[in-house]
Amino acid sequence: MLDQLMAAARAGDLAAYRQFLAEAAQRIRARLARKIGADSELEDLVQECLIAIHEKRHTLDPDRPVAPWMNAIAQYKLIDHWRKRGRSPIDLDDEADMAVPADTLAKADIETLLGKLPPAQAEAIRMTHIEGLTNREASEKIGIGVSAMKLRVHRGMQRLKELADEDGS
Amino acid sequence: MSETDNLIDQLAQDGAVPPANALPRFVMPLAGVIALCALGVALALDGAFASVQQNGLNGIVVKWGFSLALLLLSAFALWAIGKPGTRTGGAMVALAVPFALVAALLVLDLLVAEAIFPGETWRECLAAMGIMSPVAFVGAIVATRWLAPTDLPRAGLAAGLFGGAVAMTAYAPYCTQHGMLYMAVFCCLPILAMAALGWLLGPRLLRW
Repeated sequence: MLDQLMAAARAGDLAAYRQFLAEAAQRIRARLARKIGADSELEDLVQECLIAIHEKRHTLDPDRPVAPWMNAIAQYKLIDHWRKRGRSPIDLDDEADMAVPADTLAKADIETLLGKLPPAQAEAIRMTHIEGLTNREASEKIGIGVSAMKLRVHRGMQRLKELADEDGS
Repeated sequence: MSETDNLIDQLAQDGAVPPANALPRFVMPLAGVIALCALGVALALDGAFASVQQNGLNGIVVKWGFSLALLLLSAFALWAIGKPGTRTGGAMVALAVPFALVAALLVLDLLVAEAIFPGETWRECLAAMGIMSPVAFVGAIVATRWLAPTDLPRAGLAAGLFGGAVAMTAYAPYCTQHGMLYMAVFCCLPILAMAALGWLLGPRLLRW
Protein backbone atom coordinates (compact mmCIF):
# COMPACT_ATOMS: atom_id res chain seq x y z
CA MET A 1 0.00 0.00 0.00
CA LEU A 2 2.77 2.44 0.93
CA ASP A 3 4.56 1.66 -2.32
CA GLN A 4 1.52 2.42 -4.46
CA LEU A 5 0.77 5.62 -2.56
CA MET A 6 4.35 6.82 -2.89
CA ALA A 7 4.44 5.95 -6.58
CA ALA A 8 1.29 8.02 -7.12
CA ALA A 9 2.69 10.82 -4.95
CA ARG A 10 5.89 10.87 -6.96
CA ALA A 11 3.78 11.26 -10.08
CA GLY A 12 2.33 14.46 -8.61
CA ASP A 13 -0.77 13.22 -6.75
CA LEU A 14 -0.96 15.42 -3.63
CA ALA A 15 -3.89 13.49 -2.14
CA ALA A 16 -1.93 10.26 -2.44
CA TYR A 17 1.01 11.89 -0.71
CA ARG A 18 -1.21 13.03 2.15
CA GLN A 19 -2.56 9.51 2.47
CA PHE A 20 0.98 8.14 2.36
CA LEU A 21 2.09 10.43 5.18
CA ALA A 22 -0.97 9.52 7.27
CA GLU A 23 -0.32 5.82 6.75
CA ALA A 24 3.39 6.31 7.48
CA ALA A 25 2.54 8.19 10.69
CA GLN A 26 0.35 5.32 11.83
CA ARG A 27 2.99 2.68 11.18
CA ILE A 28 5.80 4.73 12.72
CA ARG A 29 3.67 5.49 15.78
CA ALA A 30 2.97 1.79 16.30
CA ARG A 31 6.64 0.92 15.79
CA LEU A 32 7.96 3.62 18.12
CA ALA A 33 5.32 2.98 20.77
CA ARG A 34 6.75 -0.52 21.20
CA LYS A 35 10.13 1.02 21.98
CA ILE A 36 9.43 4.15 23.99
CA GLY A 37 5.87 3.52 25.13
CA ALA A 38 2.99 5.91 24.62
CA ASP A 39 4.58 8.76 26.55
CA SER A 40 4.27 12.42 25.74
CA GLU A 41 7.30 12.38 23.47
CA LEU A 42 5.94 9.72 21.14
CA GLU A 43 3.91 12.15 19.06
CA ASP A 44 6.81 14.61 18.83
CA LEU A 45 9.06 11.82 17.61
CA VAL A 46 6.47 10.72 15.06
CA GLN A 47 6.34 14.30 13.80
CA GLU A 48 10.13 14.48 13.58
CA CYS A 49 10.09 11.28 11.53
CA LEU A 50 7.47 12.69 9.17
CA ILE A 51 9.47 15.86 8.66
CA ALA A 52 12.61 13.78 8.00
CA ILE A 53 10.76 11.54 5.55
CA HIS A 54 9.49 14.60 3.74
CA GLU A 55 12.81 16.45 3.68
CA LYS A 56 14.78 13.38 2.59
CA ARG A 57 12.26 11.91 0.15
CA HIS A 58 14.78 12.27 -2.69
CA THR A 59 16.85 9.48 -1.08
CA LEU A 60 14.18 6.89 -1.82
CA ASP A 61 14.92 4.96 -5.00
CA PRO A 62 11.71 4.57 -7.00
CA ASP A 63 12.40 0.89 -7.69
CA ARG A 64 12.89 -0.02 -4.02
CA PRO A 65 10.17 -0.69 -1.44
CA VAL A 66 9.27 2.19 0.83
CA ALA A 67 9.01 0.30 4.15
CA PRO A 68 12.74 -0.44 4.74
CA TRP A 69 13.60 3.16 3.85
CA MET A 70 10.93 4.57 6.15
CA ASN A 71 11.80 2.21 9.00
CA ALA A 72 15.49 3.07 8.72
CA ILE A 73 14.66 6.77 9.05
CA ALA A 74 12.39 6.09 12.04
CA GLN A 75 15.10 3.99 13.68
CA TYR A 76 17.68 6.71 13.08
CA LYS A 77 15.42 9.35 14.60
CA LEU A 78 14.70 7.10 17.58
CA ILE A 79 18.43 6.59 18.24
CA ASP A 80 19.00 10.32 17.81
CA HIS A 81 16.19 10.94 20.27
CA TRP A 82 17.73 8.57 22.84
CA ARG A 83 21.13 10.12 22.31
CA LYS A 84 19.77 13.60 22.95
CA ARG A 85 17.81 12.41 25.96
CA GLY A 86 20.90 10.73 27.35
CA ARG A 87 22.92 13.89 27.06
CA SER A 88 20.38 16.41 28.25
CA PRO A 89 16.73 15.76 28.94
CA ILE A 90 14.54 17.84 26.69
CA ASP A 91 10.87 18.50 26.58
CA LEU A 92 9.65 19.57 23.19
CA ASP A 93 6.78 21.76 24.28
CA ASP A 94 5.98 25.38 24.89
CA GLU A 95 7.01 25.32 28.55
CA ALA A 96 10.42 23.78 27.99
CA ASP A 97 11.47 26.18 25.28
CA MET A 98 9.91 29.20 26.99
CA ALA A 99 11.59 28.34 30.28
CA VAL A 100 15.05 29.52 29.31
CA PRO A 101 16.69 31.03 32.40
CA ALA A 102 16.39 34.79 32.18
CA ASP A 103 20.11 35.39 32.45
CA THR A 104 21.14 32.73 29.90
CA LEU A 105 21.09 35.16 27.02
CA ALA A 106 21.17 38.37 29.00
CA LYS A 107 24.68 39.39 28.07
CA ALA A 108 24.44 38.34 24.48
CA ASP A 109 23.51 40.54 21.59
CA ILE A 110 20.31 38.71 20.72
CA GLU A 111 20.00 40.07 17.21
CA THR A 112 23.58 39.09 16.40
CA LEU A 113 22.95 35.59 17.69
CA LEU A 114 19.66 35.33 15.83
CA GLY A 115 21.52 36.37 12.69
CA LYS A 116 23.57 33.20 13.01
CA LEU A 117 20.50 30.97 12.94
CA PRO A 118 18.69 29.74 9.83
CA PRO A 119 16.13 32.46 8.96
CA ALA A 120 13.12 30.22 9.69
CA GLN A 121 14.38 29.41 13.20
CA ALA A 122 15.29 33.04 13.90
CA GLU A 123 11.83 34.16 12.79
CA ALA A 124 10.18 31.52 14.99
CA ILE A 125 12.15 32.67 18.05
CA ARG A 126 11.49 36.35 17.37
CA MET A 127 7.77 35.70 17.26
CA THR A 128 7.57 33.41 20.29
CA HIS A 129 10.25 34.84 22.57
CA ILE A 130 10.41 38.51 21.62
CA GLU A 131 6.93 39.32 20.31
CA GLY A 132 5.38 37.00 22.88
CA LEU A 133 3.18 34.93 20.59
CA THR A 134 2.33 31.36 21.49
CA ASN A 135 3.49 28.60 19.16
CA ARG A 136 -0.03 28.28 17.84
CA GLU A 137 -0.38 32.02 17.14
CA ALA A 138 3.04 32.14 15.49
CA SER A 139 2.32 29.12 13.34
CA GLU A 140 -0.98 30.59 12.20
CA LYS A 141 0.70 33.89 11.41
CA ILE A 142 3.15 32.35 8.93
CA GLY A 143 0.95 29.49 7.83
CA ILE A 144 2.74 26.41 9.08
CA GLY A 145 1.67 23.65 11.45
CA VAL A 146 2.04 24.05 15.20
CA SER A 147 4.33 21.05 15.31
CA ALA A 148 6.61 22.49 12.67
CA MET A 149 6.70 25.76 14.62
CA LYS A 150 7.54 23.93 17.83
CA LEU A 151 10.36 22.13 16.10
CA ARG A 152 11.74 25.38 14.69
CA VAL A 153 11.62 27.08 18.08
CA HIS A 154 13.12 24.10 19.83
CA ARG A 155 15.99 23.67 17.39
CA GLY A 156 16.57 27.39 17.27
CA MET A 157 16.70 27.64 21.06
CA GLN A 158 19.11 24.75 21.28
CA ARG A 159 21.40 26.40 18.75
CA LEU A 160 21.00 29.78 20.44
CA LYS A 161 22.06 28.36 23.78
CA GLU A 162 25.10 26.76 22.14
CA LEU A 163 26.03 30.07 20.52
CA ALA A 164 25.59 31.93 23.80
CA ASP A 165 27.77 29.35 25.57
CA GLU A 166 30.44 29.66 22.86
CA ASP A 167 30.42 33.44 23.18
CA GLY A 168 30.59 33.20 26.94
CA SER A 169 33.49 30.76 27.08
CA MET B 1 -7.65 17.75 14.02
CA SER B 2 -4.45 16.71 15.83
CA GLU B 3 -1.12 18.47 15.50
CA THR B 4 0.24 15.53 13.54
CA ASP B 5 -2.63 15.81 11.09
CA ASN B 6 -1.91 19.52 10.71
CA LEU B 7 1.73 18.72 10.04
CA ILE B 8 0.77 16.09 7.47
CA ASP B 9 -1.42 18.66 5.71
CA GLN B 10 1.44 21.13 5.61
CA LEU B 11 3.95 18.59 4.30
CA ALA B 12 1.53 17.15 1.76
CA GLN B 13 1.14 20.57 0.16
CA ASP B 14 4.75 20.37 -1.05
CA GLY B 15 4.08 17.09 -2.86
CA ALA B 16 6.53 14.24 -3.29
CA VAL B 17 7.78 14.77 -6.82
CA PRO B 18 11.52 14.12 -6.45
CA PRO B 19 13.84 16.96 -7.45
CA ALA B 20 15.50 16.44 -10.80
CA ASN B 21 18.86 17.46 -9.39
CA ALA B 22 19.21 14.85 -6.63
CA LEU B 23 22.25 13.15 -8.19
CA PRO B 24 23.95 16.35 -9.42
CA ARG B 25 23.61 17.87 -5.93
CA PHE B 26 25.53 14.89 -4.57
CA VAL B 27 28.12 14.80 -7.34
CA MET B 28 28.83 18.54 -7.59
CA PRO B 29 30.63 18.94 -4.23
CA LEU B 30 32.69 15.83 -4.98
CA ALA B 31 33.63 17.04 -8.45
CA GLY B 32 34.29 20.50 -7.02
CA VAL B 33 36.90 19.34 -4.51
CA ILE B 34 38.55 17.09 -7.09
CA ALA B 35 38.91 20.09 -9.41
CA LEU B 36 40.06 22.31 -6.54
CA CYS B 37 42.76 19.89 -5.44
CA ALA B 38 43.96 19.26 -9.01
CA LEU B 39 44.15 23.00 -9.66
CA GLY B 40 45.79 23.75 -6.33
CA VAL B 41 48.53 21.18 -6.74
CA ALA B 42 49.12 22.27 -10.36
CA LEU B 43 49.63 25.86 -9.20
CA ALA B 44 51.83 24.90 -6.26
CA LEU B 45 54.08 22.27 -7.80
CA ASP B 46 56.15 21.90 -10.97
CA GLY B 47 57.16 18.83 -12.88
CA ALA B 48 53.98 16.91 -13.51
CA PHE B 49 54.68 13.41 -14.80
CA ALA B 50 58.45 13.82 -14.37
CA SER B 51 58.54 10.33 -12.87
CA VAL B 52 56.98 8.91 -16.04
CA GLN B 53 59.90 10.20 -18.09
CA GLN B 54 62.38 8.79 -15.55
CA ASN B 55 60.79 5.48 -14.59
CA GLY B 56 58.10 4.72 -17.13
CA LEU B 57 54.38 4.34 -16.62
CA ASN B 58 54.39 1.63 -13.96
CA GLY B 59 54.54 3.97 -10.98
CA ILE B 60 51.72 6.28 -12.02
CA VAL B 61 49.56 3.36 -13.17
CA VAL B 62 49.81 1.71 -9.75
CA LYS B 63 49.25 4.97 -7.86
CA TRP B 64 46.33 6.13 -9.98
CA GLY B 65 44.95 2.61 -10.17
CA PHE B 66 44.78 2.54 -6.38
CA SER B 67 43.64 6.11 -5.79
CA LEU B 68 41.05 6.28 -8.57
CA ALA B 69 39.61 2.91 -7.57
CA LEU B 70 39.36 4.10 -3.97
CA LEU B 71 37.91 7.44 -5.05
CA LEU B 72 35.15 5.81 -7.09
CA LEU B 73 34.44 3.09 -4.53
CA SER B 74 34.20 5.59 -1.68
CA ALA B 75 31.90 7.86 -3.72
CA PHE B 76 29.62 4.88 -4.47
CA ALA B 77 29.77 3.84 -0.82
CA LEU B 78 28.71 7.34 0.27
CA TRP B 79 25.82 7.28 -2.20
CA ALA B 80 24.69 3.91 -0.81
CA ILE B 81 25.17 4.84 2.85
CA GLY B 82 23.20 8.03 2.26
CA LYS B 83 20.09 6.07 1.32
CA PRO B 84 18.30 4.76 4.41
CA GLY B 85 17.51 1.07 4.40
CA THR B 86 20.18 0.20 1.82
CA ARG B 87 22.56 -2.64 2.64
CA THR B 88 26.08 -1.22 2.62
CA GLY B 89 28.19 -4.13 3.86
CA GLY B 90 29.31 -5.00 0.33
CA ALA B 91 30.28 -1.41 -0.41
CA MET B 92 32.36 -1.28 2.77
CA VAL B 93 34.12 -4.56 1.97
CA ALA B 94 34.84 -3.27 -1.54
CA LEU B 95 36.63 -0.30 0.02
CA ALA B 96 39.17 -2.69 1.52
CA VAL B 97 40.04 -4.29 -1.84
CA PRO B 98 42.46 -1.57 -3.07
CA PHE B 99 44.28 -1.72 0.28
CA ALA B 100 44.49 -5.52 0.08
CA LEU B 101 46.02 -5.27 -3.39
CA VAL B 102 48.55 -2.71 -2.20
CA ALA B 103 49.44 -4.99 0.70
CA ALA B 104 49.98 -7.91 -1.68
CA LEU B 105 52.11 -5.79 -4.02
CA LEU B 106 54.06 -4.50 -1.02
CA VAL B 107 54.99 -8.02 0.01
CA LEU B 108 56.14 -8.81 -3.53
CA ASP B 109 58.04 -5.55 -3.76
CA LEU B 110 59.84 -6.15 -0.48
CA LEU B 111 60.84 -9.61 -1.65
CA VAL B 112 62.22 -8.73 -5.08
CA ALA B 113 62.99 -5.01 -5.31
CA GLU B 114 65.48 -2.72 -3.66
CA ALA B 115 63.54 0.46 -3.13
CA ILE B 116 65.10 3.59 -1.69
CA PHE B 117 63.14 4.52 1.39
CA PRO B 118 61.95 7.05 2.37
CA GLY B 119 63.48 9.04 -0.51
CA GLU B 120 63.84 12.79 -0.80
CA THR B 121 60.30 14.05 -1.30
CA TRP B 122 58.38 12.34 1.47
CA ARG B 123 57.83 15.61 3.32
CA GLU B 124 56.25 17.15 0.22
CA CYS B 125 54.08 14.07 -0.19
CA LEU B 126 52.91 14.16 3.41
CA ALA B 127 52.24 17.88 3.18
CA ALA B 128 50.18 17.41 0.02
CA MET B 129 48.19 14.61 1.61
CA GLY B 130 47.77 16.57 4.84
CA ILE B 131 46.50 19.69 3.11
CA MET B 132 44.32 18.23 0.39
CA SER B 133 42.73 15.32 2.28
CA PRO B 134 40.74 17.53 4.68
CA VAL B 135 39.66 19.80 1.81
CA ALA B 136 38.31 16.88 -0.17
CA PHE B 137 36.83 15.40 3.02
CA VAL B 138 34.78 18.58 3.47
CA GLY B 139 33.43 18.16 -0.06
CA ALA B 140 32.41 14.59 0.74
CA ILE B 141 30.70 15.73 3.93
CA VAL B 142 28.78 18.43 2.06
CA ALA B 143 27.70 15.89 -0.57
CA THR B 144 26.64 13.33 2.02
CA ARG B 145 24.64 15.84 4.07
CA TRP B 146 22.35 16.22 1.05
CA LEU B 147 21.50 12.54 1.52
CA ALA B 148 20.25 10.82 4.69
CA PRO B 149 22.99 8.63 6.17
CA THR B 150 21.81 6.60 9.13
CA ASP B 151 25.20 5.07 10.01
CA LEU B 152 27.19 8.22 10.64
CA PRO B 153 30.58 6.71 11.63
CA ARG B 154 30.50 4.54 8.52
CA ALA B 155 29.59 7.52 6.35
CA GLY B 156 32.38 9.55 7.97
CA LEU B 157 34.87 6.78 7.28
CA ALA B 158 33.89 6.62 3.61
CA ALA B 159 34.13 10.42 3.40
CA GLY B 160 37.62 10.24 4.91
CA LEU B 161 38.69 7.62 2.38
CA PHE B 162 37.31 9.80 -0.40
CA GLY B 163 39.27 12.79 0.94
CA GLY B 164 42.49 10.82 1.04
CA ALA B 165 41.91 9.27 -2.37
CA VAL B 166 41.35 12.67 -3.97
CA ALA B 167 44.54 14.02 -2.39
CA MET B 168 46.57 11.08 -3.66
CA THR B 169 45.04 11.27 -7.14
CA ALA B 170 45.89 14.97 -7.37
CA TYR B 171 49.44 14.58 -6.06
CA ALA B 172 50.40 11.34 -7.85
CA PRO B 173 51.61 12.98 -11.13
CA TYR B 174 54.05 15.09 -9.11
CA CYS B 175 55.36 12.24 -6.97
CA THR B 176 58.82 11.21 -8.11
CA GLN B 177 59.15 8.32 -5.68
CA HIS B 178 58.30 4.78 -6.58
CA GLY B 179 58.11 1.56 -4.67
CA MET B 180 55.25 0.04 -2.76
CA LEU B 181 56.73 0.71 0.66
CA TYR B 182 56.80 4.43 -0.09
CA MET B 183 53.23 4.32 -1.35
CA ALA B 184 52.03 2.32 1.64
CA VAL B 185 53.66 4.58 4.22
CA PHE B 186 53.23 8.04 2.68
CA CYS B 187 49.98 7.58 0.78
CA CYS B 188 47.95 4.70 2.23
CA LEU B 189 48.62 5.47 5.89
CA PRO B 190 47.58 9.15 5.56
CA ILE B 191 44.45 8.00 3.77
CA LEU B 192 43.67 5.58 6.59
CA ALA B 193 44.35 8.33 9.14
CA MET B 194 41.86 10.58 7.31
CA ALA B 195 39.37 7.70 7.31
CA ALA B 196 39.81 7.23 11.07
CA LEU B 197 39.25 10.95 11.58
CA GLY B 198 36.14 10.72 9.42
CA TRP B 199 34.90 7.80 11.52
CA LEU B 200 35.24 9.93 14.64
CA LEU B 201 33.86 13.15 13.16
CA GLY B 202 31.05 11.59 11.13
CA PRO B 203 28.50 11.57 13.97
CA ARG B 204 29.11 15.27 14.61
CA LEU B 205 29.30 16.47 11.02
CA LEU B 206 26.61 14.37 9.40
CA ARG B 207 23.70 14.54 11.86
CA TRP B 208 20.42 15.52 10.28
